[in-house]
Amino acid sequence: MADTHLDRDVLSALQEVMEDEYPMLLGTFLADSEERLSKLHSAGDAETLGATAHSFKGSCSNMGAVRLAKLCHDLEQCAMQKNFLEGIEKLVGEIDGEFAIIRPLYEAERQRSLADSAAVRRF
Amino acid sequence: MQLEPLTILIAEDSAADRMLLSSIVRRQGHEVLTAANGAEAVEAFRQQRPQLVLMDAMMPVMDGFEAARQIKALAGETLVPIIFLTSLTESEALARCLEAGGDDFLAKPYNQVILAAKIKAMDRLRRLQATVLKQRDQIARHHDYLLNEQRVAKAVFDKVAHSGCLNAPNIRYLQSPYALFNGDLLLAAFTPAGDMHVLLGDFTGHGLPAAVGAMPLAEVFYGMTAKGYGLSETLREMNAKLKRILPVDMFCCATLLCLSFQRRSVEVWNGGMPDGYLHNIASGERTPLTARHLPLGVLNPQTFDDRTEVFPMAVGDRVFLLSDGVIDTCDAKEQLFGVERLQQVFAANRQPDQLFEEIEQALQDFRGEARDDVSMVEVSLLEAAQLIPPPLVYSDSGQSCPLDWSVNFEFRAATLKRFNPLPYLLQLLLEVHGLRAQSGALYSVLAELYSNALEHGVLGLDSSLKRDASGFTRYYQQRNARLDELQDGYVRVHLQVAPKDGGGCLTIRVEDSGKGFDVERVMARPVDGIRLSGRGVSLIRQLSRNASWSDEGRSARVEFFWEALA
Amino acid sequence: MSVVTEVSSDGKKLTISIEGRFDFGRHHEFRESYERLDYKPESIVVDLKKATYLDSSALGMLLLLRDHAGGDSSDIRVVNSSSDVKKILAISNFDKLFDIS
Repeated sequence: MADTHLDRDVLSALQEVMEDEYPMLLGTFLADSEERLSKLHSAGDAETLGATAHSFKGSCSNMGAVRLAKLCHDLEQCAMQKNFLEGIEKLVGEIDGEFAIIRPLYEAERQRSLADSAAVRRF
Repeated sequence: MQLEPLTILIAEDSAADRMLLSSIVRRQGHEVLTAANGAEAVEAFRQQRPQLVLMDAMMPVMDGFEAARQIKALAGETLVPIIFLTSLTESEALARCLEAGGDDFLAKPYNQVILAAKIKAMDRLRRLQATVLKQRDQIARHHDYLLNEQRVAKAVFDKVAHSGCLNAPNIRYLQSPYALFNGDLLLAAFTPAGDMHVLLGDFTGHGLPAAVGAMPLAEVFYGMTAKGYGLSETLREMNAKLKRILPVDMFCCATLLCLSFQRRSVEVWNGGMPDGYLHNIASGERTPLTARHLPLGVLNPQTFDDRTEVFPMAVGDRVFLLSDGVIDTCDAKEQLFGVERLQQVFAANRQPDQLFEEIEQALQDFRGEARDDVSMVEVSLLEAAQLIPPPLVYSDSGQSCPLDWSVNFEFRAATLKRFNPLPYLLQLLLEVHGLRAQSGALYSVLAELYSNALEHGVLGLDSSLKRDASGFTRYYQQRNARLDELQDGYVRVHLQVAPKDGGGCLTIRVEDSGKGFDVERVMARPVDGIRLSGRGVSLIRQLSRNASWSDEGRSARVEFFWEALA
Repeated sequence: MSVVTEVSSDGKKLTISIEGRFDFGRHHEFRESYERLDYKPESIVVDLKKATYLDSSALGMLLLLRDHAGGDSSDIRVVNSSSDVKKILAISNFDKLFDIS
């Protein structure tokens, strides 16, 4: 189930790169994502919406949130064509839903890595 | 090669992406600066001058495209590679990145290996550019340095070269200001007798190597011309000097002229230069002055050929010389301008004074652009009186001036063949201060007496041969041939200086071993006749006092007087 | 290769052929062509059949070759010169030093 939302290989690569800062990266991503979500909701025009979706897509792909990245990509495409208002609303809803799913997954991952590094430190 | 750590600016509005990318870049050993939008990126660049920029395209406040443009402008000639971070896929957007000055792209999600490879590639490019700029600046510096050296060398050389009489009213010339560094050389000077020596030379090669031979050549030219040496002696000395100092593959093509305004003739030696032309204004005919010799500095002194040709000239006639830059001019198809085209310009020329401009125009039309390595000179024959050679400058005080003495010389066959005693005799006589004011006349008379004794006396040449132009040439051919074969004979010169009424008197007697001539008949001719033949006697009678011939013309005697010096 | 060297089978004759412009750019190759031989050939032929142009530095190179081959005692023939090249050699009077055809 988790595999359709998160790419675990990406996460382990991130952990390797970030080392101690890995939990902070995950926290930053979540905070950043919330900001972008609220931007998606408040976007007054297709252009802003598309740009926000585009940026969000980039971060998601970097962080291994594969399905969220895909949804952002679809939203960006929709916004570019400007005539699928219904589609847009539907996609924003799906993005909300997807974020609600992955958020606890990232939280869990963050807790796990904090515990790991704490364990490592105890030795 | 170990990658040198760089300072890399990361401009990315997503905090997580920025953090991730910073970690990746740091792990690869670089220093990281971060910016959350384009404006911050430009400011960070302005203050810390990172060497490479990773730039997100879509950012608030100022987007990546504008930031890239501004950073490129700030960087100037230095290459600051900008790698756009983007998940852009549309080619239009990628094109915008390039237009804004982006050098590469990196797609999200980031791949460490690809990022490292791109940074490395961009760093190589950056360093290549830095090296190119450094070398360009170095070349520019060297070039400036070289130009300055050339300027100094030229200034020094001009002092030597222009010590001559290139500004005489009968000389027109055209030379690039840096002709010296094209190997071109133009010299002109008066002899003590008021003849004019002109040299147009062309050293092999370009730049400094082509210029180094010019100085010694000019020194020999001016030194020997001022002392009264003829073309042959001067040529021999120039050749020997160049042969001695130049490397084997360097030489100097040259045409040397001696224009005699009194004898109305031009003596020519051409070694390796294109044909010059003697332009007879009355007939419009142009006689080519063809290269008959190897250039100077090729042959050793034993085999060097100093034989000259002599042509008669009328007042107003012109001698035109040119460097090979003219006929060797190539057009786009590597066709040479050539002698025929030059002659077409000659044929079309209506105003002789416009000839240079017309040749230049023809070269420009032919080649499509002007040339700066063409040298041309034109020397015309004026009435002797129209030209006043500059007075000779003497460095001694005159306290040791010899006033009462005599000396006898006898020059025999082997000497007559190769030695010209006139410069030596003149220098001796000019130790007498009272004679210096008339050195021109003195030299001319001495030269006429000597050449009469040698040519008509010892060599038995018939002066009437010189009545027309073809005979003139034949005369000098015979002169050379007979001199080559000469076994016996002599020319004796007797000089006597005696004080007289505070001033003094010089008596010159020149005797020869020849058959003599009908003195009465020659003396009966009018003194001012302008004929090619027999000018010598007339000249001697005009320029000296009490000219007389005895011993059936074998002995000539003249006198020069001077007053007490102030 | 714009300078081609060939030694006759008995080793007595060296032929140097120039292709294209014979100017300062050929300096190194030209010198190499005779300096690399460890003996002096009895005669040398410079073949200008394929030479399109010749400038004064080429004349200098011919003088170097002549010097190397023994100066006045050298036996050097310059063959197959085009009419333009012949004109240049004639102006320089190089026929006094080389057998030119």
